[in-house]
Amino acid sequence: MDSFGVFNVSASALSAQRQRMNVIASNLANAHSTRTTEGGPYRRQDVVFTTESISSRDAGLEGVKVDSIVRDDSPFKTVYDPGHPDADKDGFLAVPNVNVIEEMVNMMMASRAYEASVTSFNLSKSMFLKTLELGRV
Amino acid sequence: MSDGFSILERVVLQAGVRSGVLASNIANVDTPNYKARDVSFGQVLGTEMGLATTDPQHLSGSGSGAAGEPRTGDAQPWADGNNVELDQEVAKMTENAMFFQAGVTLLSKKVQMFKNALRTS
Repeated sequence: MDSFGVFNVSASALSAQRQRMNVIASNLANAHSTRTTEGGPYRRQDVVFTTESISSRDAGLEGVKVDSIVRDDSPFKTVYDPGHPDADKDGFLAVPNVNVIEEMVNMMMASRAYEASVTSFNLSKSMFLKTLELGRV
Repeated sequence: MSDGFSILERVVLQAGVRSGVLASNIANVDTPNYKARDVSFGQVLGTEMGLATTDPQHLSGSGSGAAGEPRTGDAQPWADGNNVELDQEVAKMTENAMFFQAGVTLLSKKVQMFKNALRTS
């Protein structure tokens, strides 16, 4: 039995949700970036989660990790803005495919999942601390 | 007298295994196609009692973890196939932790009783 594996499960979730927050923060920061190193406007990114077995000895423990960071391939919106230096010859400007409302909701969900894992970590810790009282009479 | 100990031990062990499975559910709240799992009392009994008959002091690591069965669903899965309900999982984990702590408290009270008995004799 893997005694402390449960801590690694919660820690993996904290790390994965933090990476997700980083990606969301990048999306929000670049919501209006019309120039990138690859040329063209900023393309939204997202994370893909997958389960990760924490312990070879205990099959019950499954943590989570970021499998990959993918680019969202939905098409860019165009806005009529002839004064902008990046507008095309018809005056249309391609803007990043980032929906700020959606990103804010994702951010709230990531934050909620993070808090739940912190709660889970603290509960496991209090259980272990209680066990130490067994010998103390 | 020793029966009381072994029942409490099983309760504490089962709560320990269950906390690992519930923590895994909470960690995978956003993983696509993940199904919430739970541990039934019979499962833990089956694996742990097998080990106890050979040598109660020696717990080997092989095969002693119950992977847990998928929780039979009243929950509608989300669009990505995940069916973890976060609020329920956190509530179950809190309940499980208190159950564990109650078991440990009872065990230590039993030990204390024995110690008192030894002292007065």
